[in-house]
Parts: sequence; structure tokens; C-alpha cells
Amino acid sequence: MEILVCVKQVPDDSVKIGLNSSGQPAVDGVTMVANAFDTYALEMAARLKEANEGTITVVAVGPEKAKDALKSCLAVGASKAYLVSEEGLGDMDSLTTGYVLSKAVAKIEELNGAKFDIVFCGKESTDCTTGMVGPVLAERLGVGCVTGIVDISIKDGGISVKQETEDGYNVVETALPAVVTVNKPEYDPRYPTMKSKMAARKIPIDTITAADLGVEADKTVPAVKVTGLSEPPKKQAGVKINEKTFEDTMAKAMEILKEAKVF
Amino acid sequence: MGYILNDEGKDLLATVKEFCENEVKEQCKAYDVSGEWPKEIYDKAMEMGLGSLEVPEEYGGIGIDRVTISALYEEMAKADAGFYTTIAASNLGLKPVLIAGTEEQKQWACDILVNGGYGAFCLTEPMAGSDPASCKTTAVKDGDEYVLNGRKCFITNGAVAGFYVVTAATDKALGNKGISAFLIPAGTPGLSAGNEENKMGIRTSNTTDVVLEDVRVPAGAMLGKEGEGFKVAMKTLDMARTFVGCGAVGVAQRCVDEAIAYAKQRVTFGKPIGKFEAIQFMIADMEIKTETARQMVVHSLTLMDKGLDYNKESAIAKCYSGDIAVEVALDAIQILGGYGYSREYPVEKLLRDAKIFQIYEGTNQIQRIVISRAVMGKF
Repeated sequence: MEILVCVKQVPDDSVKIGLNSSGQPAVDGVTMVANAFDTYALEMAARLKEANEGTITVVAVGPEKAKDALKSCLAVGASKAYLVSEEGLGDMDSLTTGYVLSKAVAKIEELNGAKFDIVFCGKESTDCTTGMVGPVLAERLGVGCVTGIVDISIKDGGISVKQETEDGYNVVETALPAVVTVNKPEYDPRYPTMKSKMAARKIPIDTITAADLGVEADKTVPAVKVTGLSEPPKKQAGVKINEKTFEDTMAKAMEILKEAKVF
Repeated sequence: MGYILNDEGKDLLATVKEFCENEVKEQCKAYDVSGEWPKEIYDKAMEMGLGSLEVPEEYGGIGIDRVTISALYEEMAKADAGFYTTIAASNLGLKPVLIAGTEEQKQWACDILVNGGYGAFCLTEPMAGSDPASCKTTAVKDGDEYVLNGRKCFITNGAVAGFYVVTAATDKALGNKGISAFLIPAGTPGLSAGNEENKMGIRTSNTTDVVLEDVRVPAGAMLGKEGEGFKVAMKTLDMARTFVGCGAVGVAQRCVDEAIAYAKQRVTFGKPIGKFEAIQFMIADMEIKTETARQMVVHSLTLMDKGLDYNKESAIAKCYSGDIAVEVALDAIQILGGYGYSREYPVEKLLRDAKIFQIYEGTNQIQRIVISRAVMGKF
């Protein structure tokens, strides 16, 4: 089974990031890591590979530094990695990223001499959080897509996945090839071993340029224009209710909730 | 930081740091209370290969330099000194094998560590701690075998090791020169773990007596030649001391980190206590001690890597790091005030953990003997 996992390098999401003086996210000095949902996708892919054999390739679109995220993926289940250089691609939105990735899929298939059976993406990135790249990629590839899955298995030559919903789960079966986007499963991504970490450093990561992919200029014009960025409003101080008795405190709380039309 | 690591080393350090932050630091608090050996944490660590960092590449290890190993050990000790102790003591058991063992013995012991097992170095006895030459454990030759009898104590990994390096008198009349070392697999009839110590600190490590009752081993289990055991043990300790130093530095660094975090958020007289010079100077002194101790560790390891004499420097690294770890832990408690004395906060554990670094693998009094002999010579 040939598996591709799409990975985005993002600022460490455990760090609180504000805006700098020019109104841009202050990410200087913040460690860049593989997007958490992509690491869940890779772990799910690794488990699927271990149960069914196959190879995992990882791909990222980004700057040269994004190779660090790819290296970390090579230490936990992936055996090949490609970086699509963002040079010449300008600002990208979900639509253009999905398009570039679809071209990368074709290029990597050509280089590997094999078609991908499943393309895994995280359900969203922790920096932009659009959750659209996976579905756009599937559309561009002309294959089916299941979003927000938390489990996957092979069934009758296709896949059976557990898709998390607000109310519970859907069990969805689909033919291959397909794109899936992954939510946080019940398990955590594995830690690399010291050995795999060192071995991963020795695996070469090829860079593919926009020219190599043959991207069409008009399809890399973003449809989304960022007009401004703002920080979320500071949390307002709460209301302290401290009546004489517990009953009075509760009654007051209910009154405030009623006034606020909470119910 | 005193470590100048290459990209590979930095990468490994980041991985170990992430593991220790997520899987060791907080989890070990409960085990510190219960005194239970946290097998599930160790299983995960062994799976990652953290137990075999000192295994040379030719025997299946990852082949990283000593300074990088030290940086990784420091990170482990920062999270929990007992966790560090288990792993460092396992590699302490490996050292005499690498110093004096045959190729076969080396490969066998390395395989145990690479596959997630543990080693134990059994030198100390109830009446032979700082003076290991007065050991009561005997090894009597019987045909092609030796029969060992005796009791070792304060043995880290005593109940969990896959191999034991045991020193025993093969000829009592010869004193130091009558001691030999043996490499014994766990499960050998007659070898068992005895009393488990209920310790003040490093409570996530396993410390037991190791009892030897008519333990029969083939003559080939000997490490080196008959009568070389004391020499092998001393060489082992010479080397291991620096690695004890880096553990102590880890505890000291954690004290600095905890003290800074508290000093920045605790408000008194209208401002954080970290704004007062009294606290700033204490933190500066803690940092001076911690960083100089780390530099001494790195210096000793650099000498080792270069094949130069490191006997004195290793003793200084161990002695100084152990002493300052206790001092810095006391300062951290002082900065946290009443909370520092409370078990609700992490620093009282750090003092209990720090104290062992002045005691094990040669007390700091013994280190001072080593250092003074090195500079004064015999007169």
C-alpha cells in the first residue's frame, strides 16, 4: 500500500503568539514543528502500514526550514520525504495549497513509479485552521474524501473509517484511492527512537520546485485576501457572586444567566 | 548552556526533552510518594532507546559522543533524578564490561541494554562502602567454575537488572589485588534481590541488596583476569563519576528553573519577588554554581573523549556538582519560602533527590581524597 501524508510546518501551538508591531503574528524565535493534526495523520498511517505493509511518503509545501518537520516524520514511520519549495508561489490559501499539493501528488507518483492508494492530511492546521486543504486536494485529484476521521482499516479493497461528528461517529466506507483528513484519535503519536531519529537525519529530502510541478500561474492566485489580523479580545473580568447564603448565590447566578438570555 | 552540540545532538536533546516533559516530570511525582518503580514509564523510555545511550556503535548502540550523552542525562535528571539514576546506573554496570570484558561479554551485555534491559554494578557491601577492598563476598574456584557467596547492598537496579557485575574476593590474603569481577546473568541460581531500600530521594529508582548464595558461574564469567577486579572497579568509578556530575547538574538546573518561575509570579510588597535584588542575587548565584558545575562535567568528558587523563577532573565534576546541587536546592526552597517546604511544590523533592549526589558512586569525602592525592602526590 502506497500512502502519502501531507505535512505543514507550523509555529509550536503550545506557545501563545500575539501580533508584532507591523501587525503580523510574532513568530520569530518560536520553534517550528509539524502540525499536530498531521502528526496524528502520520501515526494513523504508520499503524495502517504496519498492519498491511506498504510505504509512507511525506510531503510539505514550505520554505527550506520545513525539512525539519519532514525529518521528524521520517523518524516515526515515513520512509521518503519531499519538500515542495514555496518559492515563486506567492501567498497561498487553502485553494492554491490544495492545487499545488495535487500537482505534487502526480509528480511524486511519477518519481516513485507508483500511485498513492491513500492520501492522509491533518483535519486542519493549528495556525490557519481552515480545514479545507484535504477536501480541495481530493477535488483536484478527482477522488473521494472523508474528513475528521479517528480510525481507519482496510475493507474489501477499500477503506472503512470512523468519522467523528458532533453527535458521535459515522462509519464510512469508500473505494481507493481516497483522501482522508484526520482528527485526534484515541492514541498519541509515537515518540521516535534514538536510532530512528539518527537514521532519519541520513535520509535525503528532495526539493521539488513549482517549475518541476508545472503549476499554472492562474491557479496559484489566492481567492482569499487577508485584509487584516487582530488578536482575540482580552477575556473580560467575570462577575463575582457572593451572596450571604448558597441559595441566594445560586438564585443570583440564575437571574444573571436569564438576563443574558443564556436560556 | 555548556554543551556545544551538533545538529544531531540538538535533535536528540529536543526529543528527550519532549519525552521527559510529557511522560516523566509530572508522572514521577506520584511515584515519589509511593516509592513504586514506574515500570510503564521505563518501558516507554527503553522503547525509545534511552537506556543504551552509552553502548558503542560497534555493539549496536547509536554511537554518540559523551558530551551529547551527558546533555541527554541532564535532561532526564531535570525531569526526575530517580529516572536518570536508573538509566545511568544501568550504564554504570556496562562500563566494567567495556573496560575488561571479552568481545563476547561486551556484545552480550550491550544486547541486554539495547533490547531494553538493565545492568547493575555490585560493589558496595554492608561493611565495605568507601573501602571496597574490604569486601566479604568470596568467589572460590571449583574446577572450571567459581562459587560466589556474600551480600551486596545499595545496588541500583538490584531487582530489575538483566546482568550483574559483581566484585568478590578470590584471594583475601592479597587485599585489593585479591578481588575479581564477574559478569553474571539475572536468573542465575543463588543470585537474588534482597531488601529494597526505602529511600529519602530518587524514589523512582530501584535500590536493593543483591544476595549471592552458592552462585555457580563458569570461569569465563570473570571480567579480565583474576585479581584485577578492584582495578576494573576503580576505572569504572573514575569514568562514571562525571556522569553522576551531569545528573546533579540536571537537579540543580531544575532548581534554578523552578525558582525563576516562582520569583516571576509571586507578588510581595506590590511586585514580583524576582524584582528584588535579594532574590536576583540568589538566582544569579544558583546559576553561577550550576553553569560552572556543567562546564566541569563537559571538561572532564572532553578529556575522556581525547584519551587524556581525567581522574582528578572526574572527581571534581562529581564532587562539585553534588555539593552545589544540594546548595542550589536549599536556595530554591528558600526562594519559595513556606511553599518550598511544602510537598505541594516541587522543590522539596529536589533537595531530597540532590542529597544522593554527595553520597553515591564515591562519597564527596572520597572524591576529595582522589583530588588531593592527584595534586599533592604521595609524600
